[in-house]
Amino acid sequence: MAGSPRDERAWVRGAQGGSVSDLESLFRHHWPRAYRAAYLVVHDSAAAEDIAQEAFLAAIRSLDRFDRRRPFGPWLHRIVVNRAIDWSRARALRREAGEAGLQNVAATTAPDNPHALSLADALAELSPEHRAVIVLRHLLDYTPGEIADLTGLPRGTVNSRLRRGLDHLAMRLGEEVQ
Amino acid sequence: MTQWRKPAPGEHEAGDRSWEVVLRAYDERVRVPHKRDWRPVVAIVAGVAVLAAAFSPPGLAVFGSLRDAVRGADNAKPALDSLPAAGRLLTESRTGIWVVQRDGSKRLLRGYRDAAWSPHGKYVAAVRGSELRAFEPNGAVHWSLGRTARIRNPRWSFDGFRIAYFSGATLRVVNGDGTGDHLLTRDVRPGPSAWQPGRHTLAYVNRAGNIQMDNVDKRNRTSTVRAGATPRQLAWAPDGRRFIAVENHAVEVFWQRGPRIGGLDRGAARVIAASIAPDGKHYAFVETERGRSSLQLTGLLGGPTVAVFSGAGAFTNALWSPDARWLLLDWQSADQWLFLRTPVKKLKAVSNIRANFGADPTLVGWCCP
Repeated sequence: MAGSPRDERAWVRGAQGGSVSDLESLFRHHWPRAYRAAYLVVHDSAAAEDIAQEAFLAAIRSLDRFDRRRPFGPWLHRIVVNRAIDWSRARALRREAGEAGLQNVAATTAPDNPHALSLADALAELSPEHRAVIVLRHLLDYTPGEIADLTGLPRGTVNSRLRRGLDHLAMRLGEEVQ
Repeated sequence: MTQWRKPAPGEHEAGDRSWEVVLRAYDERVRVPHKRDWRPVVAIVAGVAVLAAAFSPPGLAVFGSLRDAVRGADNAKPALDSLPAAGRLLTESRTGIWVVQRDGSKRLLRGYRDAAWSPHGKYVAAVRGSELRAFEPNGAVHWSLGRTARIRNPRWSFDGFRIAYFSGATLRVVNGDGTGDHLLTRDVRPGPSAWQPGRHTLAYVNRAGNIQMDNVDKRNRTSTVRAGATPRQLAWAPDGRRFIAVENHAVEVFWQRGPRIGGLDRGAARVIAASIAPDGKHYAFVETERGRSSLQLTGLLGGPTVAVFSGAGAFTNALWSPDARWLLLDWQSADQWLFLRTPVKKLKAVSNIRANFGADPTLVGWCCP
């Protein structure tokens, strides 16, 4: 599954024409990064699954209208990241309302997973908005300009959030973040 | 930073589970022809000509208008440059909500969803994140309240003194100035609700799938109306004496506390939405069957049902202009809005709705000259 832009256009075209195998290629190619992006913002497996799944369902609903000249990934990632931010904000409100105990129980993670031990923990100390920008830059490889377009934020805000977030990660993880 | 490339907890299992869900959704989707087919439009406009002739004796003038209509369909405007009647339009997309003025100028209120006009169009209630907010159409927020559960579907009472909204699986009411927020009921199916004009009585669907009416001030349950199927939309006639319930395959008309006094069973066609005309005599509804949709018009108290317009793909909603002279139809599959003069004499089409308003645009309300 190479996943070049040409492959992706072919998958979208095939899926629009009714090909389940093309749809599955599209799904299998994009699922890991969609799920991972959601997870790194919300730090909750069940929520990440819901968020990524809903993003794909939205894609299915809009499949026939999708413009094949446009890349599929950014469109999907925009949905994932925005929903993940909304979910995190809602969780923060719940925590203020006194559900911190439940949250701690729900947040048990596999001890041998590197995300659980360091990166996700360090990210979780940032605000959802900062996490989203970091994830878009370093997991999904968007440029700051593309992130500004995806999120609707000014370019300067994206850069400052990146800088602040990366400084925090570098301090917590003990390695230089590019 | 090699950890970015490692799987997150549960990634593979969640992927397998989600693939099953996505595949089911893919199998169940209604496919839309990718290329626009104008032949149905031309056929319908030709049909409209007959209707228009019937509605309007001065035939020459009517047929002149219909030529305009045909031209309008073929040469749809690339953007909404004005509304054909007084009032302001409220629309919603994934970007946020848009307030469109009569002259076509529009303002984006980014990040909002589930918007509703206040009775005179002076304010909008909408949801942003976890907050219900009331603000002026220029975006100036007057108040907000936060809930932990997802807020949906705020609705203003006839006088603007109450707002009903869903919070998770509950129905709540707050005063129009943001005070007095309280739980109305947990016995509710979140989705439709409608205030009776002239009273603080709210109609909604209870867990049993019946229509429940509560006077929110007296806190006494006033009546329960049994519907043929669980309603997806409720709407009152302007005089507050009748209301309609939109079900999957029917529209039912009820007296204010029941019983059923009319309606239409649409058989295999799925009824998508309905809208009562401001004069209270007619209602329009959109339905879809086998990949085609149509806009229908009929009397609230019965009478013939007239197909006003039909086309390939999905229509999602229809709104009346405040003066009851125009119907605005959202032809989602064609990425167009159609303004239809009623009785049908003229059609104005506007294209590129998604490009101009954002992804998944929907019509919310056309309010208040």
